[in-house]
Amino acid sequence: MGQQAGRESEMSDRFDIGAYWEDFTPIERVLTAALGIVTLLLILFLGTGRLGPSYFLFLFGLGGMYALLSLGLNSQWGFTGLINFSVAAFFGIGAYGAALMTGSNSPIAGGFNPIFGLLIGLLLAGIIAVAIGIPTLRLRADYLAIATLGLAEVIRLFLQNERQWTNGSAGIRGIPSFFEGWPILGEFPRLMPGLEIGIIPGTAIVLETTFWRQLLNVSLMLVFLGAVFFILRRAQRSPWGRLQRTIRADEDLAKALGKNTYRYKMQAFVLGSLIMALAGVFYAHLNLFVNPGDLDPITTFYVWVAVILGGSGSNRGALLGGFVVVAIREGSRFANDIAFIPLDAAPLRLLLIGLLIVLVMRFRPQGLLPPQRELIWPSAVGNKAPSGPDKGVPQSDGGDPNE
Amino acid sequence: MSESTVNAQTNAHMSKGDVLMRVEDLQKSFGALQVTDHASFAVERGSITGLIGPNGAGKSTMFNLISGFYQPEGGSVEVNDADVTGMQPYEVAEHGLIRTFQTPRKVEGMTVREAMLVGPQNQPGESFFELFTAPSRVGEAERENLDRVEQVLEEFEIDHLATQPATDLSGGQMKLVELARAMLAKPDILLLDEPVAGVNPTLANKLADQIRRLNEAGTTFLIIEHDMDFIMNLADPIIVLDQGSVLTEGTPDDIRANERVIDAYLGGGGA
Repeated sequence: MGQQAGRESEMSDRFDIGAYWEDFTPIERVLTAALGIVTLLLILFLGTGRLGPSYFLFLFGLGGMYALLSLGLNSQWGFTGLINFSVAAFFGIGAYGAALMTGSNSPIAGGFNPIFGLLIGLLLAGIIAVAIGIPTLRLRADYLAIATLGLAEVIRLFLQNERQWTNGSAGIRGIPSFFEGWPILGEFPRLMPGLEIGIIPGTAIVLETTFWRQLLNVSLMLVFLGAVFFILRRAQRSPWGRLQRTIRADEDLAKALGKNTYRYKMQAFVLGSLIMALAGVFYAHLNLFVNPGDLDPITTFYVWVAVILGGSGSNRGALLGGFVVVAIREGSRFANDIAFIPLDAAPLRLLLIGLLIVLVMRFRPQGLLPPQRELIWPSAVGNKAPSGPDKGVPQSDGGDPNE
Repeated sequence: MSESTVNAQTNAHMSKGDVLMRVEDLQKSFGALQVTDHASFAVERGSITGLIGPNGAGKSTMFNLISGFYQPEGGSVEVNDADVTGMQPYEVAEHGLIRTFQTPRKVEGMTVREAMLVGPQNQPGESFFELFTAPSRVGEAERENLDRVEQVLEEFEIDHLATQPATDLSGGQMKLVELARAMLAKPDILLLDEPVAGVNPTLANKLADQIRRLNEAGTTFLIIEHDMDFIMNLADPIIVLDQGSVLTEGTPDDIRANERVIDAYLGGGGA
């Protein structure tokens, strides 16, 4: 069922929408349709005022944050096969790095420019990634898994207990928005007038300062996401990415072919950790408050779900997975509004996610949008490319290839 | 030990006599089991050297020791006049030694062409930073490598497999792909671990032809093989390992006639 129909790709007209649709794999069509339905639903909810526009943007930002985390994990697990159970910890390091530098009740610094907080968050995450990588990346994959499992708890407990540095469980408040103090963007939300939109008579939607602030946040998220996606896409289609995938499939093979696998694993691990920290920095400026609860292991779990759901090794899949997980997590709050379900869906969201994973593993073990079939540096292939871009890869045995 | 040196000298007249790889007094044990027991031999530049021995003689361990996958407990390995003892596999490879594995390694989710592209050494695109600082250089190298891959695939007569998933190959095709990929690394010496195990006779002949062709073009081979016909026809000299050390070494005819080799294979000699 996951097998892609062997269609010859006629690269007739790239700008013909019909041709694009022809080029889609069945699953891509289903997903496009689903995306359309979700968009319609959102418009409906926004239009009728059931979902506040500012809150929607906040959720969208959260989705982008999960997409970032998933891209980070994808570059570790999906590309290279590194098992990282510290997603929440690296996320937390980024968030705390930003919060401690900019928050109003930060016990350490506070009040710095958010750019500085961003750099500190990334720097800390990079240092810790290297520190945990040095002893474990030379060993078998399981050692990294165990070490990161421990690291996640160590970081969380450290933040919770070292009150003189982190404020403990009280968390850090008063984090400014990312653009605070910037020439134009800093003042933008306050300068924008309050708008009142009435789509349906009787219901007015008011766009205020919060809305414009969230709009800025979402733009920031899109910039982060776009940059990371671009970097990873290029990396994945390169000899570097090919080497990472070889390491994932069989590290000994890569070694025998003269590749210093330790170095490449370290690069992938640090890269992924930096992306996770970036998501954390974004979160700090989105939520304006961080506390050790944000580092709960459940975050790591959600991100793994997102990556597996989307398709390990696939950047598009990670993007999709990140948004889907947030949609389920937050959407379950609205489930009662959509249909007349006799029970409250919100407390069942973990069950829903579990069910989703079981279904994906059973019916589509390679994930919804598995990696592209052939990844060769684009300019090198030219017209020799046997297939169009972005097609699902037929996996030979259907199962997850790894361990 | 002295025996192998003598043999190396007697063989000297038939090739250039230049030693490309030398194993000296190599030792390795797993627990109480001495798997490699003071083994010494040399591989001459330009030769196809066979490495045979009964099951458990320590042939694969020897490959792992030479290529850096295992660390020896004593002795030394020299490749191209450099001491590579205790080096990491990638460092040994940098000295011109590439190996293959007994069971072909599959690269999940890649086409044959992609899997082959892992072979070439020192690709600029393997540096993460050059992907962004020198994309045109990466593209150029990639195009060159792609051309080389196509050329090598043609030479090995497997160009029709180029866009097949690398996991959908027969055992024999996989061995050919492995050999072809190893050649892309341009090794001085290639260590093949049972190249024709599980390969049908037609493909095995093809493999032998390829190995001869590559050898004539300058690659030295050290080959572990259980298929006696195959190795006796292909390799000269042949080194016999038994219980971790070199039992004897000589031309295929010498080996066939050697009583001690026959004993070792028949499970005599204190096994």
